[in-house]
Amino acid sequence: MNNLQVFEKLTSLFQEVFENPNLVLSEKLTANDVDNWDSLTHMILITEIETQFDIKFKLKELNKMKNVGDLLGAITFKLSE
Amino acid sequence: MEITIRNATLGDIPFLVETIIEAEKSGTPILSYTTIFGLIEEDVKKYIALMLEEEIDGCELSISAFLLAEFRGETIGAVCAWVEGLEGVSSTILKGNLLRFTLPQHCFESISLLNHLIRELHIDYIADTIQIGLVYVAEKARGQGLVQKLLSKKIEQLKQANLKINDAYVQVFGHNFAAIKSYEKLGFETIEYKIARNKEITNYLPSDSKLLMKLNI
Repeated sequence: MNNLQVFEKLTSLFQEVFENPNLVLSEKLTANDVDNWDSLTHMILITEIETQFDIKFKLKELNKMKNVGDLLGAITFKLSE
Repeated sequence: MEITIRNATLGDIPFLVETIIEAEKSGTPILSYTTIFGLIEEDVKKYIALMLEEEIDGCELSISAFLLAEFRGETIGAVCAWVEGLEGVSSTILKGNLLRFTLPQHCFESISLLNHLIRELHIDYIADTIQIGLVYVAEKARGQGLVQKLLSKKIEQLKQANLKINDAYVQVFGHNFAAIKSYEKLGFETIEYKIARNKEITNYLPSDSKLLMKLNI
């Protein structure tokens, strides 16, 4: 899966979890920028990402992610492992 | 009453677990960790301890966020507060990561069905402000100004380390009149009030309403 495919799949996941088909991802996007990104939604999002990409994050990896750019980087890294 | 105020340590985890559970219940029998994730209380205690042991800073499950009051070696009170988003990651995300990492997989199988419900009372945390997660005083130690002592000391501690911080916030469930009154006495004002339209929420949370209270410091 190349970076564009990861980005597109992630966008689709975000739109589904946040129930917003118009949600546009950018590398600088954070939880503060998205309505209803609370701890429960965050857990659902991470669960979906891990399931759909077939990866598993460590706690340290999860806590380093400050924005969508970091998330994309982490997914890409995990897929290459 | 000669009271010692000190920072919490790993050795305080059992007390912190009990405090977190009491605060979550907010004077009701409803513990959201059990109702939302389908766990029994004994398992919740175990998982909260594991999450505290991770020693993550900056959220309501951080040992470093707790200040404790002791009397003759017995812990009788606690306050939990932190500066929101200090490391660039919101406490909401930190808590979500801890829960996702610690709780068993089956806990997440049905939470998406509850999200609409729980979300009705969600209030965002504001970055670069002090967030008060909980204040707890043992029943036998109440009525002696310990809430104010703990809160003032913790706010002072956080402000000294973060001089640009001017505001403190606390989110309180609407049924908790005693807590609301306590905060008002300390100068907090209600700035937002949310009430859930779907009353089924009280099957999962202690209340169908929540207040956001603010203090200029």
